[in-house]
Amino acid sequence: MKSKLVLIILGVASPLVALGLWWSVSETSTNSFFPPLSQIMTRFSDLWLFEHFQSDVLVSMGNLFAGFLIGGLLGIVIGFVLAMVPLLRWMCEPTIHFFRGIPPVALIPIVITLIGFGSEMRIANIALAAFFPTLIAAMDGIRGIDGSLKDVCSVYRLTPTERITRVYLPAAGPQIFSGLQVSLQVSFVVMIASEMLGSSQGIGAMTLLAQQSFMSADMWAGILLLGVIGFLVNIGFEAIKSRVLSWHLGSKRLERAA
Amino acid sequence: MSSLLTDSTTISTTRPGSEEPLSTTTTIPRLEVQGLAKSYGSGAAAAHIIGDLTFSISAGEVVCIVGPSGVGKTTLLKCLAGLHPSTGGNIKIDGKEISGPPAEMALVFQDYSRSLMPWLNVRKNLELPLRHLKLRAAELEERCSTALNAVGLAGAEHKYPWQLSGGMQQRVAIARALAYRPEILIMDEPFASVDAQTRFELEDLCLKIREDFGMTILLVTHDIDEAVYLSDRIVAIGSKPARVLEVIDVDLPGPREQIETRALAEFAQLRTRTLSLIRQEQA
Amino acid sequence: MTASSSVINNRIPAGVLVLPKSVSRRVQAAWGIVGALIMLGIWQVVAMAQVFGTAVPTVVATFAELLSLLGTSAFWSEVGITVLISLAGLTFSAVLGILLGILIGTSPVIRALSLAIFEFLKPIPPIVILPLAVMVLGPTWPMAFVLVAFGCSLAIVMQTASGVQDTDPVALSTARSYGMKALEIKTRIVLPSASPYIGTAMRVAAPTALVITVVAGLLGGAPGLGKSIYQAQAAGNTDTLFALVTVLGLLGLVFHAVSTWTEAKALHWHPSHREVSL
Repeated sequence: MKSKLVLIILGVASPLVALGLWWSVSETSTNSFFPPLSQIMTRFSDLWLFEHFQSDVLVSMGNLFAGFLIGGLLGIVIGFVLAMVPLLRWMCEPTIHFFRGIPPVALIPIVITLIGFGSEMRIANIALAAFFPTLIAAMDGIRGIDGSLKDVCSVYRLTPTERITRVYLPAAGPQIFSGLQVSLQVSFVVMIASEMLGSSQGIGAMTLLAQQSFMSADMWAGILLLGVIGFLVNIGFEAIKSRVLSWHLGSKRLERAA
Repeated sequence: MSSLLTDSTTISTTRPGSEEPLSTTTTIPRLEVQGLAKSYGSGAAAAHIIGDLTFSISAGEVVCIVGPSGVGKTTLLKCLAGLHPSTGGNIKIDGKEISGPPAEMALVFQDYSRSLMPWLNVRKNLELPLRHLKLRAAELEERCSTALNAVGLAGAEHKYPWQLSGGMQQRVAIARALAYRPEILIMDEPFASVDAQTRFELEDLCLKIREDFGMTILLVTHDIDEAVYLSDRIVAIGSKPARVLEVIDVDLPGPREQIETRALAEFAQLRTRTLSLIRQEQA
Repeated sequence: MTASSSVINNRIPAGVLVLPKSVSRRVQAAWGIVGALIMLGIWQVVAMAQVFGTAVPTVVATFAELLSLLGTSAFWSEVGITVLISLAGLTFSAVLGILLGILIGTSPVIRALSLAIFEFLKPIPPIVILPLAVMVLGPTWPMAFVLVAFGCSLAIVMQTASGVQDTDPVALSTARSYGMKALEIKTRIVLPSASPYIGTAMRVAAPTALVITVVAGLLGGAPGLGKSIYQAQAAGNTDTLFALVTVLGLLGLVFHAVSTWTEAKALHWHPSHREVSL
């Protein structure tokens, strides 16, 4: 009991100590790559909480969610259709796997040459990146639905809409969600990358610009902000997932306990 | 095909100890299976699962289909429930041939853990098949609570299936069928994966349902004791391809009781007779 | 009756019911080719109709460019350096990740100390620290290597640690009762039982390593295919751009296939892979 308490204290203390160390060691730093943390924090609040909050932070986040939602939803819908129509699936599968092999970031230059540098380009890129992981997960999830669940649907004469919304979707839910989680992570990467590649707006663009103009405190502030966003977005997703899939997580817990 | 058909008709009409041959029953049977055949593939490579199957069930009867394992009982049930199209013969409910899952029928699957929706609680599982019937709230409530009471699960409405024991999950599956109010209830080895005590309880539950709801029940099992205990008649099936060996009348006195009924001399005789039929077939 | 049923008996393998597969793999693959050809056709039409102006080269132009690229040594050295950086970063991540993972998995104190920091770092992709890496190391291969290591090692650490914690306690106490030394227990008992976790982490990490190398080239100017893609786009060389992205798609498939195959080979004894072979 006592040792458990010690471990918890260690767990809470270690990141605080690490931050404290960073703060005190860097305080007198004159290295232009590693400015004092205090200076980074000042720039952080100046830049992201005031000057660029609306013009960059909100824009980046808006693009991220718009692109993720478009790509994720399309992935679920098309994954569903492909799972249900074998002929279509056979025709599309090799092409899908080919596209999955392309690093989503490598598609950004192509999309830029197609539709330019605007916000649509960034949203389109994020959507494209979010599309494939969810598509493949949804397709596998729906194809993997137990035959006896389908039999239950037929015996009790559920309508097609009931089957899709009340049985197939929830049954494939765990897989769809793990696909969406990958999509979200890729979306975040592509959000940053699309801003870094020839755009003057967004957190990624600001951070790269700061690096190129050797404003290292600004760059560090950007890295910190992106890190915090990456962390928080993931936490938010986990929270939604554990709500929606509470039945799945609950049954898995029981299974493990047994 | 036609010779086989006469073959099995001969069996069912000349079965010993029957006062009333099936083929001359005057009323239309609730469920009638005539010359049912099912095979996969075609030509020399075809796998014949069901050869030629004829039997019928009157309203309010409990009939068990027994046969050696691997005989194609599950395929047969899937054909009866309209899940698989048959490749020969026909199935009639109240004289009307079925195509696709009939509205009058509910099916309780062998594997309860895979036939209940784990994302729905017990109550929602019961309601799922009723949604498209657009019942009034009061009737929905009445059907669900009656069904749950009947299987002894009142109060478990808000539990999820995976929080219940195997026997309780199978009760939920039965309750779902009851709330659907079918005329014919088909069960596929429903008690195969529960422990012995629960099995006895569920068998009695099955008989009680027949009394309370006036349902016609068709049950597939490989447990001959269970078949004798539950049935009004037993349809013994032979394998490869599945066909009727004999239809055995079970005229045990009712109401049946786990200890007394099973101790009767007739029980032992029926058991022996059915078992030797199946044994012969396996040999 | 008996005679006829015994004849039928011969036709059906006893016990096992083999249902004829309605559509064979070959037919499916044929449809896949048809589908791919249709997509290529759409691409060709879109390019020829100039829906996007001259931004989309035709299929023919792309593949002609691809063919001519295949003949240049510059192209192959770019492919080579991309693969090399990915593999070097991956190997480094594996060694570091497994060592750290075993350390964290076996010592509750180290685990408590590192958990919060790792949990914070885990969802942060390496692209976030790309500006820092470029600032310190410049547009060089070590920069790409550092990013790959940052991006791959964390997942391997976490997976190895949970694999180690999952070691069967019975196996552990058996080993102790036979008087095995701590190091011996780690190499003979703990490592093998964590290996399925490590295998999964490596399978996921391999394609990731390639992606990060490309990102480092594209955004940070590290040598390799990523940089060539950036240059092709900046110069408006759409033929080359499309050809290079096609190459990346193929390379991605190769990484995916090789890592899946290697995992299955290395862990053939594990139940999850035995099932696959059925």
